[in-house]
Formats: sequence, structure tokens, C-alpha cells
Amino acid sequence: MKSFANVNARNLKDAVTQLRRPNAIAVGGGSDLLGMVKERLVEPDVLVNLKTIRGLDQISVKGSEINIGGLITLDTLSHDPTIREHYTVLAEAAESVATPQIRNAGTLAGNICQRPWCWYYRNNFPCFKNGGTKCFSVAGENQFHAIFGGGPSFIVHPSDTAPALVALDAKFRVVGPGGERTVPAAEFFTLPKANPAKENSLAADEVVASVHLPRAAKGSRSTYHKVLDREAWTHAVVSAAVVLQMDGERCARARIVLGGVAPVPWRLEKVEAMLAGQRITPELAAKAGEAAVEGANPLAKNGYKVPLTKAVVRRTILGLVQA
Amino acid sequence: MNTLQSVGHPSARIDALQRVTGKAIYTGDRKLPGMLYARVLRSPHPHARIKRIDVSKAQALPGVKAIVTHENCDVVWGSGDTRNKRYLFNNPVRFAGDAVAAVAAADRHTAEEATRLIEVEYEPLPFVLDPEEALKPGAPEIQPGGNLSPNNQGQRAPEVYRRGNIEEGLRNASRVFEDHYTSAHINNAQLEPRVSIAHWEGDHLTVYASTQGISNCHTEIARDLKLPPEKVRVICQFMGGGFGNKNQDQDFDLMAAVLAKQAGAPVKLEFTRKEDFVCVHGRWPTKQYYKIGVRDDGTLTAIQLRGYSGMGPYRKGTGGIAGIEIYQCPHVERTVYPVYTNMAVSANLRGPDYPQGVFGLESLMDDICYSLKMDPVEFRLKNMTRKFNDQVPYTSIGLEDCIRKGAEAFEWKKRWRPEPGSAAGPVKRGAGMAMGSFFSNLGRSSAVIDVDSQGVYHVHVGVTDIGTAAKTTMALIAAEALGVPLEKIDIIWGDTDRCPYSVGESGSRTTTQTGWAVVEAAKALKAQIAEKGMPQGKDILSATANPNPSIPGKARYSFVAHFAEVEVDTEVGHVRVTKYVAAHDSGRVVNPLTATSQVKGGATMGIGMALHEELLYDRASGQPLTAGYYGARVLTHRDAPDIEVLWIETEDAYGPYGAKTLGEPTIIPSVAAVANAIYNAIGKRVKDLPITRDKILGVLA
Repeated sequence: MKSFANVNARNLKDAVTQLRRPNAIAVGGGSDLLGMVKERLVEPDVLVNLKTIRGLDQISVKGSEINIGGLITLDTLSHDPTIREHYTVLAEAAESVATPQIRNAGTLAGNICQRPWCWYYRNNFPCFKNGGTKCFSVAGENQFHAIFGGGPSFIVHPSDTAPALVALDAKFRVVGPGGERTVPAAEFFTLPKANPAKENSLAADEVVASVHLPRAAKGSRSTYHKVLDREAWTHAVVSAAVVLQMDGERCARARIVLGGVAPVPWRLEKVEAMLAGQRITPELAAKAGEAAVEGANPLAKNGYKVPLTKAVVRRTILGLVQA
Repeated sequence: MNTLQSVGHPSARIDALQRVTGKAIYTGDRKLPGMLYARVLRSPHPHARIKRIDVSKAQALPGVKAIVTHENCDVVWGSGDTRNKRYLFNNPVRFAGDAVAAVAAADRHTAEEATRLIEVEYEPLPFVLDPEEALKPGAPEIQPGGNLSPNNQGQRAPEVYRRGNIEEGLRNASRVFEDHYTSAHINNAQLEPRVSIAHWEGDHLTVYASTQGISNCHTEIARDLKLPPEKVRVICQFMGGGFGNKNQDQDFDLMAAVLAKQAGAPVKLEFTRKEDFVCVHGRWPTKQYYKIGVRDDGTLTAIQLRGYSGMGPYRKGTGGIAGIEIYQCPHVERTVYPVYTNMAVSANLRGPDYPQGVFGLESLMDDICYSLKMDPVEFRLKNMTRKFNDQVPYTSIGLEDCIRKGAEAFEWKKRWRPEPGSAAGPVKRGAGMAMGSFFSNLGRSSAVIDVDSQGVYHVHVGVTDIGTAAKTTMALIAAEALGVPLEKIDIIWGDTDRCPYSVGESGSRTTTQTGWAVVEAAKALKAQIAEKGMPQGKDILSATANPNPSIPGKARYSFVAHFAEVEVDTEVGHVRVTKYVAAHDSGRVVNPLTATSQVKGGATMGIGMALHEELLYDRASGQPLTAGYYGARVLTHRDAPDIEVLWIETEDAYGPYGAKTLGEPTIIPSVAAVANAIYNAIGKRVKDLPITRDKILGVLA
């Protein structure tokens, strides 16, 4: 790794001030970032340590909202009784990340802002994400790459919590030098056609300070289903975050967001509309699965993700209704 | 089989507490006064000529003490290539990761910074990754003389084995089956990364190594550095695994020694995990073309194999594709081409020639069973080897019992489906089996046993214990041979100044060869005690044994049959191993506790090889993409199934108390058993390892 200065942020204001120093990067749990520093994927001059900011690792109820500090660890988040009961999809998503060691260190904000795990990017190929002008997966090994929303970069978004948060209509409180802004989760993540070097709208001198969830509607239930290549420590091959608001036998409202298939959490609005107001039967769930892959545009080696996505969507919806 | 006092009883490792409490000192834990740290600069190109190296900026960095490149170091790494001259630093460089320079500095960080200040001008050369492509006319020449690696006689010819007449065998067949298979380059993936510390005192060199064999490491360091052997000492007190890629002297041992000499201070050289996966060696990838002739009653008439093994650019291992010898068959022809490629180097990994060969062979045998409507268990009982290569009698053979008793414990009849893919979906279960054998030769090794007046027996053996519990095994054998309790045995190991020659923990030979030396030394010591009585005061009695036994006219082999049941989710392509039985004839089992662990470890490794592992390359750039535990998808604890181990303890008159080899047979049939179980479950065969989700959904589509 390159030499760098470590700065312990005193508070959010201090953090964003420090982030304005040349070539500064924010670090939370560091479970991924420190590896990237060692591999020289990033070569910061300054690491701004956010872990020294007090109070940003708490869950609190404020009016009709639940606020979750960005520095909460994935482990704490996944075990929180309120989250488990009312926002099951988020607890399950946090619990599905990597390994216990990584969940003990990794933070929610860090997971949301995690850089892609495309093997070209992680092996220092001069791709869009590394400042280049090419996506090497297109003509190369693209088994794990995007079937939706790709181009010019075909990475998939690596976060498990991101699809869950989009499905929960979460908002992110982003703090920068000019103050703070609140961004709906769905708008925070950006497609490569906007800027292929980035995965979200966070500026270099901004941090995700906290996450806000609307109060869970009556009758709502949710789940996160993640397909892994082994039982631990892989990113989602395909995942589905599903939130259903049930009104008796009927589904009043649905939110379905996929992971592992696109450069952003991939919301299936058309499928959501199909389910709204309906009794969810195996037939309807199967139709939802079919509809989920409409418009899929696989590359040479990731065509298997199409039937996989179909099955995951159908099963996750049905499993949640029948649970 | 008669019961013994110590051998055959489950015994915890004698160093278990040291290991789990952190008291065990591994090479990476050692720190010598004034020690420097080294880092290696590696080629970013799969094949390139170095036109210019300028180390002046690196040299000028404060804290840098030594830099070596091909320009100032002409050390030949003899074990790095058995056919060509492989220098520590080569020009041209021949794979992405080939060493270009090494730097020693006051700390790790400075050493790494310095490697980045070395300016290298490369002239990129054409490269080739696929072994079959590498043999085509016009392929880039990786080594002078062409890409087919010379055989032992120095000829540019494939390795050929023949018996009978293959044409006749194919003519005699009622049906001939033909198919081809591929296997991937995978890494040994042992926990402990490479590390070596070299320390010169005058002209005497001590190397703290992480090695599977202190003796061969010692003689080869002396050979490669042109030192008298008595001027070299190799110490390895605890080591964290190797699975075949820490045997012999390693380039990092030599680099550390050269840097330490130049710097005038001890040097520690550690590899990163990524270097460990790309820059040492893994299992050779293969392409296998089989033709098998069989009569309608299931009797084999001919087995023909044409195979290609990708050795990387240096010939470090055999490149063999083995397994045919587990079948009785009159007409056999095996032609294997070990080929230079610009991928990572390939050499020994647990059962080097076998699991990939058995995967291809047993896949096709399995297809034959379904075509002939024969139960795979019956087919194997009918065709299994009775004599080695149908010629040489075995000292003992428990293969039939491995198959029969393994099938019974597995409930084969219940789990295996005569009609593959016939289970109700979408989650389908199926069962598969495969068999294997592994040589269990005797041979040279040594042991020294001293006894003091307290009645403590100090057993000097040159083992390092790569995870097999070799120290404990030696202690059990010594206790048995001496007729004393285990507590009276003190093992002295892992230091060439204190231990005699040992064969090295490769080829699964330590128990049989060094264990035999322990038995012989114990016999000699007991004779001395009988003659002179126990020593008094400060006296000791000492006995040495250097046996080199052989078994004329007979072949000594271990045998194995593995049975796997899998559950394949046909909609998502997920495979889960739901039951696993491993039946082993390794003769007498010296320590059932650690032997069972060996089987579980080997089978689990095989499941990972079957389902996940591959050092995947980007074809356009020749760069590896999946180095490291994350990329390789090595199985985690949560992936490992329950594995039931059955011991078929055959008796022969050889080896320590009849022990045969064990460590490597454990992986041999596992890959094929899992592959055959997947076929039984889904009725479609994936012929290219690893059998990943995309391939499963691909054949099902």
C-alpha cells in the first residue's frame, strides 16, 4: 500500500472538511477498503476515519420514521429486534453479507457504498472503474456480470443491503460541506450510462450519515433471498428483496428489487404492478418471474442468470406469501 | 487384525495445545535481530522480453538494502524446472506473475515502495494459455525447442504407456464409447502463505522455511546456491499446510538467501495471498480424450486416452493424467502431452496425477454403465484392478471391500437411480461413486532414537508435519515399537541439524517410510538395552536406522471408493452434497482420529474442485482473475458435508505395522463421485470442471 495519513473524524462536519483534503477517502469498518488500499485499487493520501464519530451507530425511532446510523455494523443491524420484526428484508440482507468477521466490522453505509467486485476491476485492469475507458467483461469473462442496465460498464452492484433499502423506500441522509441532503435510495444509485466510473451520486466530499425507513405499513412482510455460490463469503449471484403489504389474502402493494443482475439495485416496477391488488397464487408468482426477466440483455456467459432470476423472483414472492 | 498397544488408538495430536493456544511458532512468527523484509516485483505480462531494468531509483530509497534481478543474480532454481534452466529471475518472463526483481528493505512498506520504483521496459511477446493450442504450428514458443516438454530421456515426445494392442481391443469391443473432458488449474490453497527467512553467519546459511521436507529443501538449497550441505541448516518447526506445493526448495527460500547475502542481514520474504495463488504452482489443467471399448456384458476390452496437461512455462511436475490402472483391461494406451503454456506454473497438488484423470475416466465409465443398464457398483466390481496394470500382484487389495462395504453404508441401492434425472423436481437427488488407488511404496528414510536414564525416548525424525499429524504418528509408532506409553516419547523434528534424513511429506510417504525407520531404530535400541541395560546418570543409548526396503515382484497400493449423494436445484443450478461415504484401504490405520480428518479434508477438497475452483484467466490479456480464497470459491466450513469414513484394514507384511499410504488417496475419487452424482440427479453431464451453476443451468436449458 501507499503511505497515507489517518485522520480520526471528530464529527460529521469535521469528516466532510477532512474529505476536502487532496485525495482523501472516507473509511468506516474498513473491511473492504483496507484490502483495496493494500491492492492499490485506491491510493489515498488521507483516510478519514468515520468510526470516531459518536452516535452514528444507533437505531432510533423518530416520529413515523426509523433512523439507522450509517456506522452501525451489519451484525448489530441484523440482530436488532425492531429491524428483524418490521424490516425483515433488511435484517436478512445484512445477515447474508460475507462472513461473521466482516459483518462485525463492516458498516451499513460502507455496504451501501461498496465498490463492485467485478474481477477485472479488482485485478486492476484499466477499466471504467479504474479510470479507464473500457469494460473488459464485454468481450471477456462475464459470468457474474449484468443482464440489466449494463453499458458501458457491466458491473453488478455488490451490496446486499441496497436492494433491501430500495424495496423499503428508504432515504439516505447525505452530509457534505454545504450541509445535508436527503436522497431516496432508488435515486442514490446511478447507472453507468450516467457515469461509468461510479455507482452512486455521492460526491467525494460527502458521506452517507444515516438511513431513514418509513414506518412499516400494517400487514407488511418482507424477505431477502440471496443465491450464493457457496454457503458464505460470496456476493449475490442473484438476489431478491421483496416487501409485500398484505391486505388479508390480497397483496395491496409490492416492492421487488433485485441484486446481482444490474449495476444498481434493480427495481421491478412492472412486476410490482402485476401483484398489486391481487391474490398471489403460484400461477401469478410464475407470471411475475417471467415478467421479471423481460428486457434482460445477457452477455455471452451470463445467460444462466435469466432462468435463475425467474426462479428466484417466483420463489421469493411465493415463499413470502406462504410463510 | 490384531490389536496393538498404541498404534490404532485414536490419539489427539501431541502438539494440539501448542497450535490452538498460539504457542506454536510458525516461520511467519519469527523475527531475528536486524531482520529485513523483502518483496518481489512481478511481470504484468504473460510473456515478454525484458529490454531494460533500472533499479537506481529504488536503490536510492532510504531503507533499501538489497535488490536482485536477472542482471545481478544467475542462481538457477533446480526444483523450479526439471527440464530447462529456470533462473530465480528469468528473461524472458513467461507468465503474468513471473519474478522480475526482489528487494530487501528495513520494513515491508519500504520494500514494496522500492519494487514500484524499479523501471522495467518490456517487449511483450505473443502468448498462449491452452495446452492444445500451444502445440499447434505457429504457436508462440515458450521454451527453446518448442512447447511439448521433453520426457525423462530428453526427447520431445509425449508420455506413453501401452499394454496389449489398442486397435485389437477396440475391435474386440461390442461397443466403443468416446468423449472428452477438461479440468481447470486450481490452487493448493493451504492456509499458511509462503514465507522464508534466510540468515547468514559467515558462510553458514540458516533458512527458516515453510517446507514439507526439510531434508530435500536442505540439499536443494545447497545445490542451487553451490554450498557444501554442511553449511546449510533448514528449520521448520510448525507449518500451515502445503498440499504438495511446499516440497523441495522454493524460489522464495533462494531469493531470501541471495538478498540476505547481499544485504549482510537476515531477510524475511513473505508472499501475499495473491502471489501464493498465482506465482508458486497449482494443479495442472487438462484436456482428456477417451475411447473405451466394452463387451455387452460390461467387460472392458480397451481404454485409450489422449491427454494434454498445461504445465505453465516451467516443467515442475509430471503432468500425468492417471486412473486407468484402477481397471482391469487387456488393451490400454495412454498418451499424455505435458505442454508449456503462459499460465501459472503447474505441479503437485494432493494426488497430483489423479483426481482430474479419475474425473474424466469415471465420467465415461459411468455413461457406459447407463448405456449397458448396469449398476455402476456392479460394473466396477466386475472390472476393477486385480493386479497392478494386470501384471504385478498387490501386497494386499481391499478395493472390493471398499466398494461393497462403502455401497452398503451409503445405502447405494436406495439412493442411486437406474434412470438418471428421474427424481421428481425441481430439487433432484442423485448418487454417484468412483474409485481410485495410490502407490504405497516403501523406500529410504531415517530415524535416530536416544534413551536417557529417565526412560524418556528422544525420537529424531526429519518431519515437519504439514497437517497430517506426522509428529503424533511417529510418536505412536515409536511407543508401539519400544513397548512404552506415548508419554515417554519425545519427538525432535523440523531441524536438519538435529534430525536425520526424512523422505519429505510428499507422495504420502512419511508414515510408511519414516515410520518404518522408527520401527527399525526402535528394534536396534531395544537390542542395545537388552545387552547393556538402561542407561544410568547422564548416559544415553542411541540407535540409528537408515532402511531402504523394497518389495520385489509386488506392487503396494492403497485403495479407495467414494460415494456421494447430491441435491441439485434444477431451477437455480445449486448443488449440495447431502451424503458422503468414503471407504479406504490404507492397511492398518495408525491414528484413526487424524486419519479420519485426512479423509474428510481430502473429500472436501475434492468437492471444491468438482463444484467451484478454477484459476480463471482472461483470454485476451493472459491475466488471472480469480486468485485468492474469494475468487477461488474454496469451500467453507458451512459447505462441508458430513463425511462418513470406513476403514478397510487389509494386512500385508510391509510398512510400519502394515500401514499403507493415506493423505493423497482421499481426494482421488471424490471429484468423479460428485460429478457422477450430479449426472444421476439431473440426467445431463457436465464434462468440464468445475461444475458451476452456469454450466448446470446450461446443460439443463
